[in-house]
Amino acid sequence: MKTKFTQILKQRYYLLFFFSLLVQQTYAQQIAIKGKVTSATGEAIPFANVIIKNTSNGAVTDFDGSFSITAKANDILVFSSQGYKSKEAAINNQTSINIALAEDALALNEVVLVGYGSQQKKDLTGAISLVKADEIQKRQITTVADGLQGLVTGVKVRGGGKPGQEANIEIRGLKNLQNANPLYVIDGLVTSANRDFNPNDIESIQVLKDASAAAIYGSRAANGVIIITTKKGKKGPLKVEVSAKTSFTTMPTYSLTGTEEFAKLNNQAYDNAKLDSGGNTIYNRQNLNMAVNTDWQKEVFKTGMIKDYNASVSGGGDNSTFFMSANYFGNEGTVISTDFDRISFRVNSSGSKGIFSIGENLAISNSKTDEMSGNPIIDVYRLTPTIPVYDASNPGGYGYGKQGVADTFGTNPLAIADFADTKNENFRIRGNIWAEIKFASWLKYRFNFGYESSFDSYKFLRKVGNWSLNQPPDQSYTDQNKGRSETKLFENTLTFKKEFGKHDLTILVGQTFQKDIYNQIYGTKRNLPINSATGQYYDVLNQGDSPVVGGYINEAALASYLGRLEYNYDNRYLFNAVIRRDGSSKFSKGNQWGNFPSLSAGWRISNESFFKSEFIKDLKLRASYGELGSGNIKEYESKSFINNFGQIVLGDTQNLYPSATQVKLSNAELRWEKLKQTNFGLDVAVLNNDLRFTADYFIARTEDVLFGFPILLTTGNDGGNPISNAATVENKGIELELAYSKKINDFSFNASLNFTKVNNKLVALGNGQNENIVGNTMTRAGNAVGMWYVLQTDGLFQSQEEVQNYKNAAGKVIMPNAVPGDIRFKDVNGDGEINNKDKDIVGSPWPEFEMGFNAGAEYKGFDFSMNWIASHGATVYDGFRSVVDRFDDNSNYRTGIQPWTPENPNTDFPRITKGSTLNSRGDSDRFLESGDFIRLKYIGFGYNLPDSVLKNSGITRARLTLSAQNVITITKYKGLDPEFTNSNIFERGVDNGAFPNLQTYSFGVEFSF
Amino acid sequence: MKKIIIAIVVFSGLFFASSCENELDLNSQTDIETGQYWKSESDAQAGVNSIYAMFYKDGLWARWMYFRLDLTSDEGFSNSPWTELADWTRFNYINYNFWEGNAVTWRDTYKAVFRCNQVLAYVPNIAFQNEEDKKKILAQAKFFRALHYYYAAILWENIPLVLEPSTPADLPQQRNVTEVWAQIEKDLNEAYTDLPADWTGDNTGRPDKGAAKAFLAKVYMQQHKWPEAKTALEYLITGPGAKYSLVSNYRDNFTDVNENNNESVFEIQFGDQRKGGTGEDPNAAVSSNRGQFFAPRGIGWSDGQARYWLVDAFKQEKNKDGNLDTRLRYTLYYPALEADFEDKTYGRNWEWGNNEAWFRKGSRDYYRNNEDYYSQVNYRLIRYADILLRYAEVLNETGNTAGAYQYVDLVRARVNMNTLAVSHPEIGNDHDKFLERLKTERVLELAGESVRWEDLKRWGDLDSQASVDKISLRDPDFKNFTVGKNQRLPIPQVDVDNNPNLDQHPEY
Repeated sequence: MKTKFTQILKQRYYLLFFFSLLVQQTYAQQIAIKGKVTSATGEAIPFANVIIKNTSNGAVTDFDGSFSITAKANDILVFSSQGYKSKEAAINNQTSINIALAEDALALNEVVLVGYGSQQKKDLTGAISLVKADEIQKRQITTVADGLQGLVTGVKVRGGGKPGQEANIEIRGLKNLQNANPLYVIDGLVTSANRDFNPNDIESIQVLKDASAAAIYGSRAANGVIIITTKKGKKGPLKVEVSAKTSFTTMPTYSLTGTEEFAKLNNQAYDNAKLDSGGNTIYNRQNLNMAVNTDWQKEVFKTGMIKDYNASVSGGGDNSTFFMSANYFGNEGTVISTDFDRISFRVNSSGSKGIFSIGENLAISNSKTDEMSGNPIIDVYRLTPTIPVYDASNPGGYGYGKQGVADTFGTNPLAIADFADTKNENFRIRGNIWAEIKFASWLKYRFNFGYESSFDSYKFLRKVGNWSLNQPPDQSYTDQNKGRSETKLFENTLTFKKEFGKHDLTILVGQTFQKDIYNQIYGTKRNLPINSATGQYYDVLNQGDSPVVGGYINEAALASYLGRLEYNYDNRYLFNAVIRRDGSSKFSKGNQWGNFPSLSAGWRISNESFFKSEFIKDLKLRASYGELGSGNIKEYESKSFINNFGQIVLGDTQNLYPSATQVKLSNAELRWEKLKQTNFGLDVAVLNNDLRFTADYFIARTEDVLFGFPILLTTGNDGGNPISNAATVENKGIELELAYSKKINDFSFNASLNFTKVNNKLVALGNGQNENIVGNTMTRAGNAVGMWYVLQTDGLFQSQEEVQNYKNAAGKVIMPNAVPGDIRFKDVNGDGEINNKDKDIVGSPWPEFEMGFNAGAEYKGFDFSMNWIASHGATVYDGFRSVVDRFDDNSNYRTGIQPWTPENPNTDFPRITKGSTLNSRGDSDRFLESGDFIRLKYIGFGYNLPDSVLKNSGITRARLTLSAQNVITITKYKGLDPEFTNSNIFERGVDNGAFPNLQTYSFGVEFSF
Repeated sequence: MKKIIIAIVVFSGLFFASSCENELDLNSQTDIETGQYWKSESDAQAGVNSIYAMFYKDGLWARWMYFRLDLTSDEGFSNSPWTELADWTRFNYINYNFWEGNAVTWRDTYKAVFRCNQVLAYVPNIAFQNEEDKKKILAQAKFFRALHYYYAAILWENIPLVLEPSTPADLPQQRNVTEVWAQIEKDLNEAYTDLPADWTGDNTGRPDKGAAKAFLAKVYMQQHKWPEAKTALEYLITGPGAKYSLVSNYRDNFTDVNENNNESVFEIQFGDQRKGGTGEDPNAAVSSNRGQFFAPRGIGWSDGQARYWLVDAFKQEKNKDGNLDTRLRYTLYYPALEADFEDKTYGRNWEWGNNEAWFRKGSRDYYRNNEDYYSQVNYRLIRYADILLRYAEVLNETGNTAGAYQYVDLVRARVNMNTLAVSHPEIGNDHDKFLERLKTERVLELAGESVRWEDLKRWGDLDSQASVDKISLRDPDFKNFTVGKNQRLPIPQVDVDNNPNLDQHPEY
């Protein structure tokens, strides 16, 4: 039986060799001890450590949990394994010791993946957070990122409830100005954990936050690294697990007026405008259709449904293990005509023979999305209740604005959902195959080949029909593309790991190469005929006219050399050094290579002989400094190209002729963006490790930030601003985590509190620029990115006298055209006028701190858990109110508002008028609100059917779960959801129709056989 | 131990053998790098053609230029519900970076200039079979650089002159408007030398010597350089370039049925073959959006409309047969259009205000009941009637009022109007009265053709409060007009802030 067993035997041989050295120094009686290590439920624990206390001697259990060791008859053995509480047993002359270890997921001796290797958590010197898979899986989520919200310090997640929506995630603040998403490494494959990935397959997640931890990934790691391992089989009989979860989702809604209240306000706005304009007839009241009372939210929003079915089979023998899973995830959206469907399969297997072991992870998925058309979140309040849903007199038959009756350019969301349909489909294969040769117990070579390919197809169909007032007629057309991405990753690593007495040394060297290719072909056809049999358009590219075709290929390559040294002296002094050298094809020759070193050190004070405390079980100090690179730009940014898309009309017969020229400028000298991060950390465990505290302080400074700041318009540049190495950004932050867990008989309880504070600051903008204004935000050196830069309101004018008395120092009336009820703006620069020069920085879109509180309890078969999240200090722009409170452009309005009138002067809501933009201007603090909130992100109950019920049923475990998400939100925010995101980094706090998080109610069943 | 040594050797082999340095040199397989371009005659031809494509951009003659020139003038105004858009046609300039109102036109002007500069910098190094072909290409680039700087000088006056291909770090120096005029004159004179007297066949629509002289005349006239303007115009009227005539059907200047006709001096060529946007996409359109933006409420976006005083102006004088001036019919949609000429408005009865009017020139109601973003109707940027009226103006300014009559009469005769002397005997040889009448003649002939704004500037009508007050009787938007300020637009603030060599106009 030439199996892994021989390998283990070999390990044992080397251990014995060690022993023999040690034995010579000892003279106590040695006896051989055999035994088995199992879990509390009797499952064998392979690879458990069996150490003789106060020595570094020990053994490792084999696949069926058996071990044998030679020790002194009066020694004490210490048993430990990942995920279990360690246990000691005195030998007392026994030759057979069987031990059951209690599970302990939060124990300090967990193994943590650190990239190209693993470390024990107690030995960590960098800032790494672990997330248990079931913490994520218990929530109803589409992507992994959604599941991390509130669980990890330093990780800010903002998502939304649109089917297939991918959450935005930031680790330790906004470190650059590009896409801030972290690097995902799934089973060693650098990839993205997008909506194609089935979160049910996750075994564990580690978040590498500081530079020293992430440095092994060099470039691309600047935004942090999320390492995901998927489930593996374990030795033992076949294990079948089946789960089904069904959820109902509901939208939060606005409180909008019905026809009666709407008409009152709308008429008032026109009447006021007419009065102001001296009777201009264009401000005659609209001929409102009072017979119609459309509740657009009712028409568009509905109860959504999520179905999540998962089945897995796993098992293993002495030499091999396997895990297979299948998943169906279906999400029927809360907005009409939105849908997301995913089918995914996974096979993970591994086997060994002699010094060789080999394994693979393979996932296949297919996901389809019926994308949302337009933005119904905005449309429902831009349309007035007096507009009917259907109107046969309009092309296409839907109702929308009408001159003089319902004067709005709002889009009918049902019409656009019908006439403009977007579908995406992605088929993805993601996997890797690895081989390992263990030349000796201390020397291991590993080759890893990763492969990922996706087949993407996009289809847009425009049917004939209109959705808004004055819309030009458009022909039917279809726009489609088929793309394929392919990533190949080659990795060679050599790991040396050896203990020399009290010295424990691990050295890793490696080389990797990654190549990414994406190619796409696209086509458009117009004037599609309708199939008379089905009434549907022929939407394949075969029919129609005016064809447009094209295609492109993008390629990128990344070559790297890496090395890591880990040194541990006597479990007291820990030292870690990493160097990575990266070369990227995205930079021009001469700038392609960058070196990214890092250093970190830890001191386990609790292991010092002078440290004697029964109370403090574990105390560790950590410090690290590292440099990371980022080359997160498109493939050919340092090059400039000719655009030959254009054509021109010329000649007596007005034909088309070719046109070609350079349109977009580029900077040839692009180089790596560099993140320099310093981290100080403290780990403390007290009360027999029941109460644990972790604190980290970090300073992250990113220099040469790659970003396309606007260049002068006089360059004539178009097609996007050329990327340059411009700004310097700094983030300083504190992360605290306090966790407690306790088990008393049948009752166990855990709770943890985490706290994150990140201060973002733009140190310099670069390129000689001083500030960058985007919308209502200002990015200026010395402040955070995207600060609110607006006019300040100062109450309402109550009388004409107040208007006339509102003067600057020189006596100039500042707002001579204002009338009572209008907003008084602050004349910040004192020039006697309200203009752009009066804008000032008035607030930050970034939270001062965010918190998470997680608690759980178990009693017999029952369990309960909940997650709360809180955010404090952010100021956000309520895009909803900036539309419905403006009144100079028609929309629906909020119910119950009390605009200023001479009869109703005690209000903060200004006079409403159709004829002036004074009160409605969007660039004032009128629409800024506190973004503070506290939210019950998740609450769930579970019940495991007792064994007595399951006896003889063939079912080993049966579990029922009931949970709810986003059910309690405490906030003063007047928009739909304070937990929103805006993909524009400079406008992070602008809620412009962001899709809200949904209230989700789930019921699930799980069975194991 | 042997095994370990082997392992290290093998590993090191893998490590160093698989050197990836060369794998990092990846070139695009999709697009042509600039370094590979500008090598052949066809590169030069497509390169100069790309300048023409700038007419299809929304900042220029596909869309927003008409807001700057037609709606800002007293001929038009905007009642757009998009208040900021309307504000930029009535001197309410709040945010100087407002894209549609200011920045996009500025940017697209320089985008066009960048294209001209590329041709002028790179084409001289290309070997041509026939050196004359190269000269023609360079001359076209110079013509268009002059054209775009001309309108930029009309709009912003003191602007940076960029004369070399752009680079991202450029900080061009602002120039006084007189230096800008000088550069335009230089480019046009050089273009005139190398442009052909005629283009035919597939090349119809390119600028010829006549177009260069016409623009020279415009530049001179704006500077009141009357003798120079006179010389330039004579090339088209009496000189070697006198090939023009007025088309008998006035409307032929505004539809797609008789394009590039004898009256056309320079015409922007539009088409409807491509249904993309105004950007740089694979199907970028080659059309005008003007119709869609100016069509009446319920038909188009109705963002721009005509001032009603135009209707009254036309009705001041009947033609020889005692009927209304037919130019009214084809210039405007107005309440009595059907009563006067039996024309409906896009097939509809009048459903708009009693004192409302909409621009009709360039609209396609002669064969459809709506508009869209893809109008193929060419825009006659300069037509011979304009040249004749300009010549009359120049003659009047150079003391030859009597000689000026015949050119006004040519224009009037086409639409069956009596001679000026018959209809307006009170003018005689009075310079001022003649100019005053000529101002009306230009409105009647050219209303809605984007010349009114430069006319008002040239005549000095925007320079005194008294004349502005007079204009504001016709167009109340001019109540917002500040003399000494609003005759030019503010420069987009973002460029002022980021270019130490560029100052905002002091009055802004």
